[in-house]
Amino acid sequence: MSQFLLPDLGEGLEEAQLVQWLVQVGESVTLNQPLCQVETAKALVDIPSPFAGTVEKLHAAPGDTIEVGKPLITIAEAGATAASASATSASANEDGHGPVLVGYGTEGPAQTFTRRRRTSSATSSATPPQASAAATDALSAPPSPAHGGGAGGGGASASPLVRKMAQERGIDLTTIKGTGPGGRIRVEDLELALKAATSALPSSAHGDSRRALTEGEASHRLAEEAEKRSEGAGGGGLAPDEERISTVGLRKAIAARMMKAATTIPHFTEYSLFDASALVALRERLRGSSGFGEQKLTYLPFFVRALVEAVRAYPVMNSRWDEEGNAIVIKHSIHVGIATDTARGLLVPVIRDAHTLTLAQIAAEANRLITLAREGKIEAKSLTGSTITITNVGAAGPVDTGAPLINPPEACVVGFGALKPRPTVVGESVQVRPGAWISISCDHRIVDGATAAQFMGALVQHLEQPEGLA
Amino acid sequence: MAKALDTKDAREAKPPRGSADSSNNSGDSIAAMLDANGVLTAEAERAANISDEELRTLYRLMVVSRRLDQEGLNLQRQGELGLWGPYAGHEAAQVGAAMAMAPTDWIFPYYRDFAMAVCRGIDPGAIMTIFRGLTHGAWNPNEYRFAPFIIPVGTQVPHAVGFALGCKLDHDDTAVLVGFGEGATSTGDWHEAMNFAAVFNVPLVFLCENNQWAISVPMRQQVSGRIADRAAGYGFPGVRVDGTDVLTVYAVVRAAADRARRGEGPYLVEALTYRTQAHTTSDDPTRYRTEADVEPWKSKDPIRRCAERLQARNAFDDAFAQAVSEEAEQRALAMRQHLLSAQTPHPASAFDLVFANPPESLLREKAEFIEALEPERGE
Repeated sequence: MSQFLLPDLGEGLEEAQLVQWLVQVGESVTLNQPLCQVETAKALVDIPSPFAGTVEKLHAAPGDTIEVGKPLITIAEAGATAASASATSASANEDGHGPVLVGYGTEGPAQTFTRRRRTSSATSSATPPQASAAATDALSAPPSPAHGGGAGGGGASASPLVRKMAQERGIDLTTIKGTGPGGRIRVEDLELALKAATSALPSSAHGDSRRALTEGEASHRLAEEAEKRSEGAGGGGLAPDEERISTVGLRKAIAARMMKAATTIPHFTEYSLFDASALVALRERLRGSSGFGEQKLTYLPFFVRALVEAVRAYPVMNSRWDEEGNAIVIKHSIHVGIATDTARGLLVPVIRDAHTLTLAQIAAEANRLITLAREGKIEAKSLTGSTITITNVGAAGPVDTGAPLINPPEACVVGFGALKPRPTVVGESVQVRPGAWISISCDHRIVDGATAAQFMGALVQHLEQPEGLA
Repeated sequence: MAKALDTKDAREAKPPRGSADSSNNSGDSIAAMLDANGVLTAEAERAANISDEELRTLYRLMVVSRRLDQEGLNLQRQGELGLWGPYAGHEAAQVGAAMAMAPTDWIFPYYRDFAMAVCRGIDPGAIMTIFRGLTHGAWNPNEYRFAPFIIPVGTQVPHAVGFALGCKLDHDDTAVLVGFGEGATSTGDWHEAMNFAAVFNVPLVFLCENNQWAISVPMRQQVSGRIADRAAGYGFPGVRVDGTDVLTVYAVVRAAADRARRGEGPYLVEALTYRTQAHTTSDDPTRYRTEADVEPWKSKDPIRRCAERLQARNAFDDAFAQAVSEEAEQRALAMRQHLLSAQTPHPASAFDLVFANPPESLLREKAEFIEALEPERGE
């Protein structure tokens, strides 16, 4: 029986997400038969079978993130086939470590040359008996290990970081079983030991403590435990009421992008309500007219057109901040990103050269891109290169408006809220008219509030007097 | 060097090249072999007198190479290779050019010229060990007259020029072939090599395997005009050929090598093809091109085109195709077995590869390194 460990499919990749299995348990497979599809940070990849035989076990489910070097599939090999040569090389031993990675590999037991460990008595003698201070106070002292050998554990194999962490936490590394290469103790092992120590604490605290817990100390302890639990969740352990969602691929990319937007771009947001009476009438008139025919005509193409016209008047809104040159780079082409909710998460397909397109062309392109994005068929190049972005904050629910985050490295994002009947002051009276909120978030390095307000004025004007958009 | 300078001086007495009457030089007799699409004309095909058996050999080598390429990809996906650079689409250029050279000629390949190495009889399993990180070069270049794969872009081109100059100074009739991609033509090395090759009139065939992509950079962002036309700027002829037609590449490179052997100097062959796969296994081509971009080139598949040529000659049948396909399977399996049973070299062998007589300090470092690697006592 041979285990196939997930190899590094690019250069220096650490994980991949399983997209789908192409085989099932009990199925017989031939050498090089496609087993599954995985998505790495670089590409969608078919994995061919390194063995011929019968599938014994699938070690992951679609959507799971698998670390490089961890088991992917177990195959019972068919007799002494020619393929068995490969089995010896790629298969893992019991520990799950095998020479599966060429060049970047996990260190396997087959490795003849292991680095000699430095058994430095110096390390342990030089280690201050740091646990002793803690030991006087049972509250902050993890149980017995700290009282054993020197904290830090000079004899065990661990990185300087792990040694430092062990010292700080008063843990003896010699009491921990390392799961890293050659039994090296990893941060995860230390955290696991710490968690075990924490959960064992209440009884030991009661037994050893020479004084009762004060109420404050007890609640502090509880909070600390809760915190450790949640840290533990990050490392792999979960509380019974928690669910872990892995974030490879799109979700990870969104997370990184939004973190960049929120932490590196100084945002400000402005809001305005516009009267959509004329826009509603224009859309009704155009629907089914010759230029549009059967095509679906939403308000989005009008928003794009109005945005293009407003950008023409205020080109600085269509720009990016050049970090290195401390300069503003204005783009003369207007590529409008359309924030689109899909089953995979937020995608931003791009209507390229929107300034050269008619309303009908924009409608057709937007429909095409959004459909492809929702079907998961959009090409990567249609998802890059936007210069300004529209988000329809009212599309997914009863949302009037919001403060959108900029799509880096752009200067501006425009949000449109739900278009619905609203009390509108007309002259001296209040009338019910269709309207929607516009919100624009800008990069304050590039644009000041007054410019944004003028840009907003232009947007509102084009949407309230929309004849020029068609 | 003095000899070379003499030769140059002698040539300077002749009318300069690249002038209006350059059509007289024999380079154009090669250009005349081709139609407007860069394909061998029927007349030139007859004149080239390439037998059915020769063409069947080219077909066989292309099919084997394609299968080995697929196995390389499989092995990388199975964690057995650090990296693989697919060469599907290059078979006609590589097999055609390598087989056009005489066995005594030299070839200077670039990293994607795997099929050329196969044509030279080097064991594919041995070549693969390079991509497993077991060796820097898996064959003795002198034995196969095949220089090592060169990973840095374009540096093999001046190597080849220097080597060809040596051949010329030795007064033997060796010709040299150097392979490179169109991306390499953007490097300074390439331009220096082109210039020197012309100035010293060396017996060298430049083969540009123009697959239209330098990783993600398209040809139009690399080159204005045609690469073949650049040779004229250095004073020698060049031609663009259909790089998906093995017969054309074979005939043209053979003519260019013969020309070089006659002392008529370098020649540039631009074999236009398409990289249908990723640049390497670390590349995702969907980020910069679409399936629609690749589609037209699938109909120009080198293997299919060669089969069509054989069919036109009534030299292709199912039994032949079946036998070739079986041979390809067997060689792929043999390559896999060779690779997976290859020994990992001792890490300290890295100290042995630079100096013939290593200095004391290096030997000391090597000893310390070996000591540091010793397995821990008691384990």
